[in-house]
Amino acid sequence: MIRVEDLVKRYGRFTAVDGVSLEVPGGEIHGFLGPNGAGKTTTIRMIAGLLKPTAGRVLVAGHDMAREPEQAKGALGFIPDRPYIYEKLTADEFLRFHAGLYGQDGDGVGKRVAELLDLFELRRWEGELVESFSHGMKQRLVMCAAFLHRPRAVLVDEPMVGLDPRGARLIKDVFREMAKKGVAILMSTHTLEVAAEMCDRISIILGGKIIARGTVDELRQAAGSQDDHLTQVFLKLTGGSGFQEIPEEL
Amino acid sequence: MKQAFPYLLLPVFWSARNRAARRQKGDGLRGTVFGGIALFVILSIYAVVFWLTWQLLDYEELGEYLVRLGFSWLFLTFLSFVAFSAIVTSLSTFFLSEDLRLVLAAPIPAARLFHSRFARTLGQASWMVVVFVIPVLVAVGNVRCAGPAYYATIPLALLPFVLIPCAFGAVLTLLLVNIFPARRARDILMFMGLLFAVALVMLLRFVRPERLLSVESLPDVTAFFATLQSPVTPLLPSFWAGESLFAALRGQWDFVHLGALWTTALCFVVGARILFGWLYFSGWSKAQEARKARFTRLRALDGLARLLPARPSSRVVLVKDLKVFLRDTTQWSQLLLLLALVLVYLYNFRVLDLDRLPFMSGFVKNVYAFVNLAMAAFVLSAVAVRFVFPAVSAEGQAFWIVRSAPVSMRAFLWSKFWIGLVPVLLLAEMLTIVSNQFLGVDPFLKLQSALAMVFMTFALVGLAAGMGAQHPHFGAENLTQVSGSYGGVAYMILAVLFILVQIGLLAWPSSIYLWHQFHELPLQPRHYALMAGVYGLAIGVSAFTFVQPMRRGIRALEAMG
Repeated sequence: MIRVEDLVKRYGRFTAVDGVSLEVPGGEIHGFLGPNGAGKTTTIRMIAGLLKPTAGRVLVAGHDMAREPEQAKGALGFIPDRPYIYEKLTADEFLRFHAGLYGQDGDGVGKRVAELLDLFELRRWEGELVESFSHGMKQRLVMCAAFLHRPRAVLVDEPMVGLDPRGARLIKDVFREMAKKGVAILMSTHTLEVAAEMCDRISIILGGKIIARGTVDELRQAAGSQDDHLTQVFLKLTGGSGFQEIPEEL
Repeated sequence: MKQAFPYLLLPVFWSARNRAARRQKGDGLRGTVFGGIALFVILSIYAVVFWLTWQLLDYEELGEYLVRLGFSWLFLTFLSFVAFSAIVTSLSTFFLSEDLRLVLAAPIPAARLFHSRFARTLGQASWMVVVFVIPVLVAVGNVRCAGPAYYATIPLALLPFVLIPCAFGAVLTLLLVNIFPARRARDILMFMGLLFAVALVMLLRFVRPERLLSVESLPDVTAFFATLQSPVTPLLPSFWAGESLFAALRGQWDFVHLGALWTTALCFVVGARILFGWLYFSGWSKAQEARKARFTRLRALDGLARLLPARPSSRVVLVKDLKVFLRDTTQWSQLLLLLALVLVYLYNFRVLDLDRLPFMSGFVKNVYAFVNLAMAAFVLSAVAVRFVFPAVSAEGQAFWIVRSAPVSMRAFLWSKFWIGLVPVLLLAEMLTIVSNQFLGVDPFLKLQSALAMVFMTFALVGLAAGMGAQHPHFGAENLTQVSGSYGGVAYMILAVLFILVQIGLLAWPSSIYLWHQFHELPLQPRHYALMAGVYGLAIGVSAFTFVQPMRRGIRALEAMG
């Protein structure tokens, strides 16, 4: 459902993403991991059609993001890491606006908006301006918007940032349910426990290149680690385990 | 924290230094244009005041009296300006600044925090007044051959003079924020400030100061000055500053009024500091509370938008833009100022008495029709740079929503264009038709102006929307910043050039027509062909100015990232 082929992004002489390829079929939750500055967000932004690749191709539900951006974006739901929304709209108005952008109009929209506001526990605040929402509420509202048009693939950048444990649980359940219905989910995260708990497969990016891919067990084998925690596996694969000794003065 | 309070101002200076060191594209042009305009204004102020004071030298006692009265009025005006500016600035510096959380979380003594924030308020609220009052005072001093005492008194009087309204503004803000939430207080103040500006503009125009220049109204001059004298009260700092400088102008020291200025300034600052200690933290805490916002639902807009023959994506962009605009006090309240300017504009044409020139009135009226067209187009471009140019930037950090949606950038920019075009076209046509009616110009010119305005509006709105997309500023704190950016300045330069070219192109065929009409001669086919050719060229220039920037804007949006 999401197919990325040899994606490259260069800023002058600096190569932020260097030949990334990956495929997320329908029904799979695919984790996208990497240390800070590895190229995760740049890759995600290129897949979402927010950033023009220097080279390579992005296909969503068979539509090329460069050649058929409207069809590709119409099949995709995007959840960014920072939920910037129009502050002077109410939650209900924002969702109706979002529906309109995806070409949805008519009576069905109101029902769908109400369903999603109920699902993400925002119904009480549907008539309030977004400016009065907390970060977590805005994040849940953006998720409502991403699922509003029943996307076939979902792209998520850091889904758990700013969510309380109840919100995080809800999101995990929603993602699992969506995957069961055949939606492809590509999720970038720093939270390794979330990746281990939810993802069918994981790709690890370092220095703009995919250095490992597979299930958690496959990654553990690749790292030669017997450790149960994904953190140790991640650190071994990304070369980040060699910490300096913590000075006592600290 | 052990350092003195100026340490807390270091980020301001360092940021300014870094901005200067890392100049961005267009900073040089912007700096040159704005610097040039500022220098021109300062020199003009100096020249006008120099000339006026020079003229007053001929009237010994009356001249002295008028200089004294002038000082009092000058300082009274600036006193109210600095006080209002200080209230608005204090809201930002004391309560809404992003860096306050960091600063308040640090172990900083309250006194140092107050002094640093008050210094910022003082600088931000009064620099403009100081910059513009100095050429006035220097011009007066130069004409009157003032001695060193006068020039020494200028800073000695100005500093306490600006300290007083700034301390007053800070205290009033402190009290307001303890009563209203900070953001609501800002909206109220912005609205009040605009009403104040609107009232001032209309008052200044409707008293018809040009009457003073006509011979018939000479007896009224005495009454005019009598009304001017009334608000100059000896209890205000503006009077003390004026008196100190007037005494210095005559080579004397007025220690009484200077002393009054300094002691009052000291009392105000110390009083503000004490109140700050008592009330600041409670006000700050209130400013953090997200109160339930009151707003209008504007449901009628949804219904009206459904009637439009447009795609859902264009309709929702229209409804969203209108709701966001109408719910933001800082945005919609600017319409009041626009309304006042339109009224003053039309009033100018209403009171213009061209029939006093019996032999020239017909000719002058027709020339005025072109002046009117140029001025209306200039008003239009000013409206476009304020409301249409920032349309893309107005999406702000939320632009990802549109960019990740299946909406082409072409459809998006065209939506922005149509949203801007309709109100601007109505305004431009209203200005042109009504003012030409007041002028009583030739019917041919009336029709030509009305038609020309349609083409010019398409061109200027297209130019604004297209250039706004080429030079977006998504991180701007407010849309006025976007209008004043490099792209906004470049837009105004191109818009003025376009208007001049259009007026030139339209004036030539019109003059052929009017000349033949005046001499009662029939137009020959070659005249018609020439006129049609030039009109065609004018339409072509408009079409190019409209289409080309839109294309480039769409390409810029598509290539974004």
